[in-house]
Amino acid sequence: MIAVEGVVKRFGAQTVLDGVSLAVAPGEVVTILGSSGSGKSTLIRCINGLERLDGGRITVDGLDVADPRQLAQARRLSATVFQLFNLYPHMTVLRNVTLAPEVVLKRPRAEVEAEAQALLASVGLAGKADAYPAQLSGGQRQRVGICRALAMNPRYLLLDEVTSALDPEMTAEVLAILGRLAGRQMGDGGTTMLFVTHEVEFARRISTRIVFLDQGRLIVDLPTARFFADDGGLAHPRIRQFLSKMAPSNTVAGAEVTV
Amino acid sequence: MRHAGFTWHDGALLAQGLGVSLGLFAGTFLIGLVLGSGAAVVRHFRVPALSPILHAGLELLRNSPVLVQLFLVFFGIPALIHQPLAPLSAAGLTLSANTAAFVYFIAVAGLDAVGRDQVEAARTFGFTRMQVVRHILAPQAAAFAVAPLVGLAVNQLQVTSLVSVIGVMDLTKAGDILNLRTLRPFAVWTMVGALYFAAAKTLTLLGNRWERRLRAHAAPLEL
Amino acid sequence: MSFDLTVLTPHLEPLLAGALLTAEVCALGIAGAFGLATVLGLATAGRGWAQRLAWLYVDVFRNVPFVVQVFFLYYGLPEIGVYIDAFWTGVLALSLVGGAYGGDVVRSGILAIDPGVVEAARVGGLPRLDIIRRIVLPIALRAAIRPLGSVFVNLVLSSSILSMITLDEVTGTARGVAAETYRPFEVYAFLLVAYAVLTYAVSLGIAALHRHLNRHMVASPGVAGSEVAGKGA
Ligand SMILES: Nc1ncnc2c1ncn2[C@@H]1O[C@H](COP(=O)(O)OP(=O)(O)OP(=O)(O)O)[C@@H](O)[C@H]1O
Ligand SMILES: [Mg+2]
Repeated sequence: MIAVEGVVKRFGAQTVLDGVSLAVAPGEVVTILGSSGSGKSTLIRCINGLERLDGGRITVDGLDVADPRQLAQARRLSATVFQLFNLYPHMTVLRNVTLAPEVVLKRPRAEVEAEAQALLASVGLAGKADAYPAQLSGGQRQRVGICRALAMNPRYLLLDEVTSALDPEMTAEVLAILGRLAGRQMGDGGTTMLFVTHEVEFARRISTRIVFLDQGRLIVDLPTARFFADDGGLAHPRIRQFLSKMAPSNTVAGAEVTV
Repeated sequence: MRHAGFTWHDGALLAQGLGVSLGLFAGTFLIGLVLGSGAAVVRHFRVPALSPILHAGLELLRNSPVLVQLFLVFFGIPALIHQPLAPLSAAGLTLSANTAAFVYFIAVAGLDAVGRDQVEAARTFGFTRMQVVRHILAPQAAAFAVAPLVGLAVNQLQVTSLVSVIGVMDLTKAGDILNLRTLRPFAVWTMVGALYFAAAKTLTLLGNRWERRLRAHAAPLEL
Repeated sequence: MSFDLTVLTPHLEPLLAGALLTAEVCALGIAGAFGLATVLGLATAGRGWAQRLAWLYVDVFRNVPFVVQVFFLYYGLPEIGVYIDAFWTGVLALSLVGGAYGGDVVRSGILAIDPGVVEAARVGGLPRLDIIRRIVLPIALRAAIRPLGSVFVNLVLSSSILSMITLDEVTGTARGVAAETYRPFEVYAFLLVAYAVLTYAVSLGIAALHRHLNRHMVASPGVAGSEVAGKGA
């Protein structure tokens, strides 16, 4: 379980996360919604230990991410997919995927490579193992990013706007993979997902729960169906306002493009 | 006379040497600046014959050791023309030419950065070639080139230390003399190094200030 | 007044031996400079006391003339009981000054790395040392090859100064030949051109190496097409 308890994060005088609490249990697919600047990325970065907390506590299966030793352990349990892919530019696609399992998990190279090849094939990149990131399209790069995360066999998958740097067509291909992943894993105690996305319709389809961040505060935390109910999440003016703004461009990935 | 100890006279010797070094630097840097920019303009207008010859010669100067250049001028030229050359003249000649080579490549890059379309535009207004250089090219190329020129200046100041080898009484030569008298090389070369360091830092400081001023001047034009 | 290069022919052998010594001292000096530049680059790109110390080092060695550094090492150090012969003084001096200039280059290479790439490695759980060794340095040094090459070419040119501490590398040998033949112009002109040709060739080689090692780092023009082609793969 990922447990976020009363987390406070400041940048200078600005309080970006103001007492956020959130629990993600195994098997859940939780989506974080919220307008730009509300602190979604910061929350993800706090969970994977890229930011130091100014208050509160975050544990991953009981491991406190504020403690360097425990953070190292926690990082073996979770994996992150990034908005801008952040692939290692000097390594082949295959090496990008195998590096951490080999170096961090100390697994034998041959085994890791076979697994990586299978992962790449499953996202339609079988022929790209020896290519370099610069030789791939954005959608292909993000699929590599997903494989790199999955190769760690993570219990928790953290995804921060993984399609927002992609055009509609590529967005669709990446979302299809994530949808498959969520469907497969849901309920069987496999990979638990914590999503940040602006693809509201997609979130509605795959999430078990949706939380809403507003100016650093988590104002709503509801099962998906309740979130979209008129007497549930939609009762909140902030959320109605947010959804009405998002709706036209994000109903279905690729259907419409914002101008 | 081991460990003769330092006297006030030694301070004067070092100060005098520093003066020679700074003077030599200032003189040769200015001459090099003029010659190098001139050569860059020649290249910009693709003057036949002259421009490729200059380019090759300056490339040669940039890619060879200053020490060898000094030897060539101080020992080689007098042997060739059977005329003695004073150390200071040889040093001045060598360092000016060497500076010119580096200035040339900086200035060429600066001129290339301005772009030919601007030159063509100006020409259609009836500017002469030299007017284009003065009013269009030079100011912009200068703004582009200040930072590398400041770096070059710091470098050329240090290069002057080589002229001691042909007998010019610069700061390094003063160190040499002091060293022979006191037999305290550790202290002497530390002191000499500190003086060069102070001079170089001062130069950097002045250069940065000049750069800021030039940038501030150029700013309103960068619309 | 005449210019006759044939006067050099009987002296080619010692000149070649000198050139060999130049090559040796430079190769070792460049190796040392490369190692030091890597360490200084990492230190100056970081923070804390190590960064301040590294900055001080770079500042001193870039603002004191190379001759003075060489004299200090060769004549000054024995006064405090440290004796190093001319050859190893040369190697040391070239390493120290090359490290200072190279450190600045490596630092720029490190600072140019997309921070997201390093974050991905951290989040992936890679230990600090592995991140430096497998991610940061390979990317930074690739970007730094060309500018590092210029630093090393300058080191080769600076190595002529080692003739001033009695090292008989090629410039030192040439002084002897010039004195012996009374033909300084021919000797130094030949030497000057030889240095220039050599360093020019080295620059070309470095540029080629730079292109080769960075060939995967940027998208090639044909990539737009591969996007479509790769879709069904
Ligand atoms: N490193 C930083 N230094 C200073 N301020 C920061 C930093 N990172 C984020 N912030 C600020 O914190 C606030 C929240 O940023 P965050 O990136 O978490 O928002 P977000 O919800 O992910 O927005 P978006 O939807 O645009 O990605 C913003 O006001 C941002 O400017
Ligand atoms: Mg964000």
